[in-house]
Amino acid sequence: MTDHQVSIPIITDSDIVSARQQARELAKTFGFSSSELAGIAAAISELARNIVSYANKGMVNVSLIQESGKKGILVIVKDKGPGISDISLAMQDGYSTSNSLGLGLPGVKRLMDSFEIKTEIGKGTTITVKKWALR
Amino acid sequence: MKVPILKQGNILIATIQSALTDQDLLGLQDNLSHQVIQHRSQGVVIDITELDVMDSFATRTLRNIANILKLRGAKTIIVGMQPDVAFAMVQLGLTLPDIKTARDLDEGLALLR
Amino acid sequence: MTKQNFSNPHNIDASSLMSDMGLDEKEIQHRKEWLQLDSSDEARLAELNKMAQGYADEVIEDLYKHFLKFEETQKFFEDPAVLKRVKNLQKQYFLRLTQGNYDSQYIEERLKIGAVHASIGLDVKWYLGAYNFYQRAVAKRLFKAFKNDPEKALSALFSLTKLIYMDIGLAIDTYIYQRELTIRQQQEAIRELSTPVLQLREELLILPIIGAIDAQRARQLTEQLLLAIRDKRAKVVVVDITGVPTVDSRVANHLVQTVDAARLMGATLIITGLSAEVAQILVTIGVDLSKITTVGDLQGGIEEADRIIEHYKIKPQKNNLQATTE
Repeated sequence: MTDHQVSIPIITDSDIVSARQQARELAKTFGFSSSELAGIAAAISELARNIVSYANKGMVNVSLIQESGKKGILVIVKDKGPGISDISLAMQDGYSTSNSLGLGLPGVKRLMDSFEIKTEIGKGTTITVKKWALR
Repeated sequence: MKVPILKQGNILIATIQSALTDQDLLGLQDNLSHQVIQHRSQGVVIDITELDVMDSFATRTLRNIANILKLRGAKTIIVGMQPDVAFAMVQLGLTLPDIKTARDLDEGLALLR
Repeated sequence: MTKQNFSNPHNIDASSLMSDMGLDEKEIQHRKEWLQLDSSDEARLAELNKMAQGYADEVIEDLYKHFLKFEETQKFFEDPAVLKRVKNLQKQYFLRLTQGNYDSQYIEERLKIGAVHASIGLDVKWYLGAYNFYQRAVAKRLFKAFKNDPEKALSALFSLTKLIYMDIGLAIDTYIYQRELTIRQQQEAIRELSTPVLQLREELLILPIIGAIDAQRARQLTEQLLLAIRDKRAKVVVVDITGVPTVDSRVANHLVQTVDAARLMGATLIITGLSAEVAQILVTIGVDLSKITTVGDLQGGIEEADRIIEHYKIKPQKNNLQATTE
């Protein structure tokens, strides 16, 4: 019986690789196509990287979900870091990720089907994303 | 995991494996920077056929590598980008504007001549 | 794409059917609550089991006598061995109704039955007719057995009704699921057929797109295109959209992303045949036009493609690799 969820603590950069590989493996069992898997891996890589870059440590939680017959993946990325001071700026497209100030959030939003972010200065950030498999 | 670098004449070929950490990428940057000088290389082909994800760090580092090598007069070509990886990268909004890309190693090597 | 296959009744995978149809513990509980089917109903039904064992054979006989009167159902029971086996299965099902526990295994069994019936082409109406027959057959006997306590008979009948409605719901859901599955599979086939990637010459592919492109088709086109670039080792792809009347901004952006992705793979996309509408949309949504190569028509696109390929004409060389010393 395969697991339906996996939790990966994120502290070092090698955890970023671990998180995206485990997420990919899990999503694969649910029948996501290879291009969807690539998208999921890329999104998790970015989110996990933000933890390593800004929050010291955090957690990536990946679980398989079902809703009215649709199969999908739920990813919750949590940290107790400094929080994001200006969310609207961070979510602005064109807020480039190629320079080191970007968080890559608009890109992650494009890759996923739903995107939610909760952040509090000094307390931390929780980002919740979902992607549904196209049968 | 260290990225193996092979030499062919005055071209270096770096072949990336899938599980590439940030440290590995920085290691590659360091290695290539030194070896381009050591071997007086005129071009570098970075083969990313096995790379699973091109995220912001990988993109940034590859661009840095290209710029560093340019300072030593060497051209950089990236080959073997997989369709899924390419599209996910584009959706993330990442680009490789100043780097030439080619289908595979053969085409990359030929372009460098 | 789900691996579910309804064409062969013997190959139906009931356990994955449950999860494919979204019937988890939560959903099952939800349905029971909706029908107000609770543990007191289960107890009441369990009480009837002994009695049911007594009249089961009779009820089944009557049921099949009724079925065999109709041409449409007769054909399923032409072989007497089949008829015997089916009657037996039917009896087991009938007794299962009064077993008193209706957990996920019960649900799985119900789904399998529904799926088998759907796959052999038995219409829902015949299915419903059978349930209706059961209900009346049991009601008659209940009121006879509890003739001094009609309240009891009525409660038992209500419990049975709730259970039967749950079963009917599941059966209908299976039929619907099967239909939807077929539709999806056909849509997938149509999509694949309608966007062929053609190899015109070495390193040159053509992708003529006809018809409206929605978000899903756009995604599928991109996947096909990028895979073809890799597998056919293409240098240029001419994408002709003469047959595409219009695109929305989402699809237009998607197109630009595809151009970028192809470039990352070392290939150039040339878009030809833009209608006035599409051209205006691209400009209006602010697409960076320097990023995409467009040519008026397909012919022009192919000529441009040839130019690009000539420009990059390269001779393959023998590779002579040595490991670097470190």
